[in-house]
Amino acid sequence: MSAPPKNGNGAEPHVELKRVTKRYGAVTAISDLSLAVDKGSFTALLGPSGCGKSTLLRMIAGLEVITAGQCFIDSIDVTDVPPAQRRIAMVFQSYALYPHMTVRQNIAFSLSVAGAPRKTQEDRTREVARILQLEPYLDRRPAELSGGQRQRVAIGRALVRKPEVFLFDEPLSNLDAKLRVQMRLELAKLHADLVTTMIYVTHDQTEAMTLADKIVVLDKGTISQVGSPLELYNRPANKFVAAFIGSPSMNFFGVDVAPADDGVANVVLPGGRTARARLRGKSAIAAPVELGVRPEHLALVDPNDPASAFRGAIRIVERLGNATLLYVDTPAGQLIVQGEGNLEAKPGQGVGLTLSESDVHLFGASGASL
Amino acid sequence: MSATAQSVDSPAAVGARGLSRLRHLDLIGLVITVATLALAVVWAFPLYWGLVTTFKPEYEIVRPGVQLWPEHFTFENYIHVLLRTKIGLWYLNSLITSGAVTVIVVVMAAAAGYAISQLEFHGRRFFWWMILASFMVPIPSLTVNHFILMSQFHWINSLPGVIAPQLIAPVTVIIYKQFFDSVPRDFREAAVIDGASELQLLFRIYLPMNWGITTAVAIITFIGAWNLFLWPFVAVNTEDKMNITVGITQVHDAFGVSYGRDLATAMLAALPVAIVYLIFQRRVTQAIMLSAGIKG
Repeated sequence: MSAPPKNGNGAEPHVELKRVTKRYGAVTAISDLSLAVDKGSFTALLGPSGCGKSTLLRMIAGLEVITAGQCFIDSIDVTDVPPAQRRIAMVFQSYALYPHMTVRQNIAFSLSVAGAPRKTQEDRTREVARILQLEPYLDRRPAELSGGQRQRVAIGRALVRKPEVFLFDEPLSNLDAKLRVQMRLELAKLHADLVTTMIYVTHDQTEAMTLADKIVVLDKGTISQVGSPLELYNRPANKFVAAFIGSPSMNFFGVDVAPADDGVANVVLPGGRTARARLRGKSAIAAPVELGVRPEHLALVDPNDPASAFRGAIRIVERLGNATLLYVDTPAGQLIVQGEGNLEAKPGQGVGLTLSESDVHLFGASGASL
Repeated sequence: MSATAQSVDSPAAVGARGLSRLRHLDLIGLVITVATLALAVVWAFPLYWGLVTTFKPEYEIVRPGVQLWPEHFTFENYIHVLLRTKIGLWYLNSLITSGAVTVIVVVMAAAAGYAISQLEFHGRRFFWWMILASFMVPIPSLTVNHFILMSQFHWINSLPGVIAPQLIAPVTVIIYKQFFDSVPRDFREAAVIDGASELQLLFRIYLPMNWGITTAVAIITFIGAWNLFLWPFVAVNTEDKMNITVGITQVHDAFGVSYGRDLATAMLAALPVAIVYLIFQRRVTQAIMLSAGIKG
């Protein structure tokens, strides 16, 4: 067993993956990835389908053999330790509730296979049922429960083991939109109450942003960026993260960049107007450069306003109630603009667009933030 | 009739045509029902004929002509079989051998099916192909081999000798393997994380989730073992080790075969199987409905 390294703030990480690789034959699902998860944190693994986020979680759980690298939990190398001995619990997307057992038997299953005394099983099951408000349903079978109740039983089954680390594999994907919001809140409350390390896999950025205090964005088996929700939103490390985080998605278009000074670049926008953009990264500027701006950082002005960055015409207006989304045809292509709910706009209307210069992002040819 | 023509018809005309179509369907239904009924009568007649014969005195049975109901109703055949043969012992032997075959086959097939479906081990594919290949071999063609093997074990004319060759049940392994394959992997992984061993997985998750299959397999195996004639007939040579099916051959007297008594023994032999099936048929239906209702 080798000693795990310490993380940035000096504390030892609770879960750590060290240069792990996972290959299925010739296909590499995870490539030389290192990740540290702090004790008591809520970490979301976020990414599109096939990015390797579930594989990563399953490697932590011990359900997938790690091809190369090491996995530590609580400073112990668990790379070759069976799942049951890793002191983790996992909630599956399908809930995986045993259909022939009652809620009580489902929750107590892990205690029962471990040979715990009946009294302990009953006490712990009751305690978990109380926390999750499942007491009235203890004698029902999973088929007799609603989606939300099944989800709670799945969490209860994890909770009863008093694990060191909770692993969630897209646990809310099978729920309808309303229930998902409700369960999201319950999970947040659960984490606040238990203060246990939770690792949560999702492709839904809203879930990741609202629940996690740290998000790991994965792309094709590698980590694209790790940071707090607002860090990812405000300072995306690359175009992939910038495009993945935020809804509606960030607008991108090609620009010419004049030599920069004092960390500020002069940008020539499509259509000929200029803007100034702050440089965040340390990468050298090399064409082609793309500018990214979020829909809420574009604003409608009069077409003849000298401050406007673009002139264009509104193509589509989407009313969301609390906001209005406009699809505007401009020399930079179609841009999405987010305005207030009662914004006066109609299709075909000529408009000018200003952009908030402090909120624009520049991305180099490799996609890295400049 | 074209769609255009239909669209200009009055609702009354459409209604009348619908009614005539219904009558047409009714006629087809009636013909099918009558045909099914006729086939059912043809199928059931030998059973009825056999049952009725057991209540006739022997002189009525051998009399030429078809007699659908006994002239002189008698229980003599049953009384003879129940009181003057070793039918009780034959029942017991059948029960022991069929019960043992059922239990061992179910446990063995479930375990083998589970191993081939769920476990990773060297030679797994080879074992699977062996089981598939053995499925192609007709068991009666092995009778001589089984006899030699059992005689080397000194198991001829013993209940273990009747049981052992019946334990070759590749179909049952195939059924279990295919069924375990269809169980979502999440169940297994959730149980593995909960610390369940392979045996606990098999007996607490996989088998209880598939009771319908186990019940069906057990019934089929039990009925097959109970009705088996050739092997128990070859393997046993004293009356006290005989199964009920073989015991039928012993029901004769100084005057030779008595049809009424033979058929009465056959009816008594079939009775437990019929009862078992009637009882478990409902459980099979329930189990299938339960497993279908769980999904969702």
